[in-house]
Amino acid sequence: MSGFGAILRKDLKLEMRTGDSTITLIALSMLILVVLVLAFNPAEGRTGDLAAGALWVALIFAGMLGSSRALVAERDNSCILGLLLSPIDCAQIYAAKLAAAFIFMMVAEAAAVILLMLFFNLEFGMKLALLAPPVILGALGVAAVSTLLATIASRTRAGDLLLPVLVVPIFVPALIAGVKASAAALSGATMAELLGWIRLLIAFDVLFVAAGYLLFDYVVVED
Amino acid sequence: MSQPILEVHGLAKLYGTTPVFSGVELKVGPGEGVQIIGRNGVGKSTLIKTLAGLIAPTSGQSLVFGQESRWLKSGERRVGVLAHQSMLYPNLSARENLEFYAELYSIPSPSECASQWLERVGLEAAADKRVRTFSRGMEQRLAIARAMFAEPDLLLLDEPFAALDGDGVAMVTGLIKEAIARGRAVLITAHAPMELGGLRFEMLELVRGRLAPYGEEGRHARLRSLSAG
Repeated sequence: MSGFGAILRKDLKLEMRTGDSTITLIALSMLILVVLVLAFNPAEGRTGDLAAGALWVALIFAGMLGSSRALVAERDNSCILGLLLSPIDCAQIYAAKLAAAFIFMMVAEAAAVILLMLFFNLEFGMKLALLAPPVILGALGVAAVSTLLATIASRTRAGDLLLPVLVVPIFVPALIAGVKASAAALSGATMAELLGWIRLLIAFDVLFVAAGYLLFDYVVVED
Repeated sequence: MSQPILEVHGLAKLYGTTPVFSGVELKVGPGEGVQIIGRNGVGKSTLIKTLAGLIAPTSGQSLVFGQESRWLKSGERRVGVLAHQSMLYPNLSARENLEFYAELYSIPSPSECASQWLERVGLEAAADKRVRTFSRGMEQRLAIARAMFAEPDLLLLDEPFAALDGDGVAMVTGLIKEAIARGRAVLITAHAPMELGGLRFEMLELVRGRLAPYGEEGRHARLRSLSAG
């Protein structure tokens, strides 16, 4: 897996140098949360449901943008061709791009969760701990689907415009599970009550990480 | 005759219904060189990428050591490609770019390899500058180092002399000569026949999607257009 490590290290080095992805993702997440807080007054009750909805709107948009940004570095000067010519498996390229997108997203999500707690006046405690599994699994799922579909979209004329049209319908099962699990976590439910939704998120992640790992080879080369 | 490194049978590429090239037949053995001449937009770059397996052909086969180039397994990818796009990361330095690629190729000492090649292509003074600050000629030199550092068995060089000054042309000619002497197969494309320091390259011409001995197809095409006119 030396190729995986080399690509991931390179992506993180580029990100630390420019900050392009994380700054954009944090700004986008903040913007979405602020708009939703202003639109739905958290003081009017059902805080858990509103906060969960706001968090997942931020997560899905940040996820699509993060995966797309992780591929931008490879599109400049057609660097992706350099990776394809090298003696590493395409699956390693996918895994590294997925890992980079996931890390960028987690940084943005960490910032979003802190803002969410402040905006919705939620407690930093057990609720936050229970929120972690659905958010982490959701971020992985969005990153897995978006990385694969962003690769396909980048080869079309519509490019990034096509990505939401492709990602959102596929992500709906995980989105429902994630919103429900997050709302339950923020409303004070126990871990046992979340388990059903978390299992669904795990199944979604396994399915789409495996699909990306197996199919990347076929979608990355130009027809 | 030893097994050809590159063998191409009936290769064709269409974008929609528009043919780029068709019926391409080619063989390049160890220590042999081929020069493909063609005008702008004739399909030379698409041909290079298709030969390398970076673009799927519409029909036909491009074989490297008998294996389809599109489906070479990780250990079998011994093809160095220079394309119009440099495949270099603008926000990494020249040294970081070469070290990164050397790591992908599991070169034992990436840093030593990078230093060696930066010196060979005359970029040692700019080694720690980011590629985005490079001139077109400097980027071309670094792209040549990227294509050749792993000593691939097959070199596909799309206009290797583009944007280079006199020293650069001499340097690339020297590297091509060395590759041929070491038994590598080299295929280069150009707008006009290039003098390669006395090396005897097979000269072919890509005209109207057909690959033919240099001069022949172009002459036929000119005659056809004259008779049509």
